[in-house]
Amino acid sequence: MNEYILRTEEITKTYKNYAAVNKVNLTVKKGDIYGFIGQNGAGKSTMLRLVTGLGFPDSGTLEIFGENADKGLNAAQKRIGAIIENPALFLNMTAEQNLEVHRLQKGIPGKQCIADTLKLVELENTGNKKVKNFSLGMKQRLGLATALLGDPEFLILDEPTNGLDPIGIVELRGLIQKLNREKGLTVLISSHILSELYQLATTYGIIHEGRLIEELTLRELDNKCRQHLKIKVNDTEKGVTILEEQLNTTDFEVSPDGSISLYNHLNEVRKVSSALTSGGLIIEHLSQNGDSLESYFSKLVGGDSHE
Amino acid sequence: MNNLLQAEIFKLRHNKSFWLILIVSLGLSSLMHYLVITGWWMLTNTPFETMGIPEMNALSMFILPLFFNLMTGTLAAFYISTEFDSSGVIKNQIISGKNRSLIYLAKYLVFTAAATVITVIIPVGTGLILNLLMNAGIFDGNSMMYLLKAFGLFTLQLAGYTAIVTLIAILTGDSGRTIIFTIVFTLIMFVIEKMPMSDIITAIYDYSVFRQFSIVMNPEMTSGDIIAAVVIGVISTAVMLVIGMYIFNKKEIK
Repeated sequence: MNEYILRTEEITKTYKNYAAVNKVNLTVKKGDIYGFIGQNGAGKSTMLRLVTGLGFPDSGTLEIFGENADKGLNAAQKRIGAIIENPALFLNMTAEQNLEVHRLQKGIPGKQCIADTLKLVELENTGNKKVKNFSLGMKQRLGLATALLGDPEFLILDEPTNGLDPIGIVELRGLIQKLNREKGLTVLISSHILSELYQLATTYGIIHEGRLIEELTLRELDNKCRQHLKIKVNDTEKGVTILEEQLNTTDFEVSPDGSISLYNHLNEVRKVSSALTSGGLIIEHLSQNGDSLESYFSKLVGGDSHE
Repeated sequence: MNNLLQAEIFKLRHNKSFWLILIVSLGLSSLMHYLVITGWWMLTNTPFETMGIPEMNALSMFILPLFFNLMTGTLAAFYISTEFDSSGVIKNQIISGKNRSLIYLAKYLVFTAAATVITVIIPVGTGLILNLLMNAGIFDGNSMMYLLKAFGLFTLQLAGYTAIVTLIAILTGDSGRTIIFTIVFTLIMFVIEKMPMSDIITAIYDYSVFRQFSIVMNPEMTSGDIIAAVVIGVISTAVMLVIGMYIFNKKEIK
């Protein structure tokens, strides 16, 4: 079985002279909840539109469930559920009728799936109420229901928390985590609300001005954002030995440039520096570092984050 | 394909505009036929009069392109184009992974069936029923054959016309613009018919479904005319469908 649900290679989409998506290499592994982060206009929706077949890339290759030819991609896209930008709904129909259209289109046998999916998103009691009379949150949940109909293996959600109240956001997060945990659903979710994604995603892709500038796991992100003492000494090997033997810690990492990130003894800077200097080392740099997700994102994109 | 057709039929059944246009068609044709049958509205020099069935003269109105365009154009606007506008429901169809050509074909087939009901079956059907109910005239075999042949060929031309309207609806992706463009397009055809044009334009028009709409009503059509009408209807439909599918396959869905 292919480990990757989605893999893009050098995908590019240009509108006139503007590259909305520029040579993006994105990989979503089976079972991931992939958080796709970017400011408004960074290229998130364009990228998701290319993946779902709403648009066509100018160059590069797209592989979904191991398929990359046109015919194979069509078949692979049948295993995807998606909401791109806004939930696409018939406003003059009820929730059930909206799902019935979707069920017929997808050729899903039996109507039981409609009741089950409406129950899943807690819209089972909307009866004959037309969608035009739904709140924004209800529309968002119905959009999610259309994406979930037919048990897709890969769910793509573009800014799904738009219009949801705080309780709705928590419920949506719980539902996605539940589906991921219980059904092994792979999720690609885009947002500019970093704190929201941080509580949900297991892997992150950061896009800025059409370019995927970083792809990292939750653990890697945590490490990058974690508070630590950044130490640079004239002899890294000796410095490591002193930390292990005199400060009794192994909770540190050594970077390729020889700097050491120490994750404990954060309030004992004097003790750390005296241990290193008493061991005959010259401290070239010692500072307390660590970012919030927002400031890390800001540093990457070179500006203020949007949340 | 069967799934897509079922979905399109379901959407049509729940489309308010379709039912409104259908009721308008039913009301208008009933009224027109009633006025003609009771003699309140006199029409002369119609093909129906030539065939000896002046009781069906009201149908003259329904075979005017400007008249049936209003109904088919409006239906296309609120059944096809509306899926591309703010609601964006076309996205769900594309994301479902179905072949775009089949999606286009399903929309075209259901739209054409609906347009046929509204512009052919209801006007002809109400005319026949009212004539029967009001004992206005008993149609003989010849008249019935004429109506069957004329409106059979008319429906074939209508299929070519709806293929053009479907293409306009997909291209504009906007209800208002679809109505305006179909009206403008029909007006252009009307101008070409009435005004002196270059030989090339006249030749193209003569072999178009627009010219055929009036030719197929001629009671004295020769076998050659019938064959020409069938060929023009079928080829126009096929060509417009292929062009439409090609464009839809290349279209970026907003």
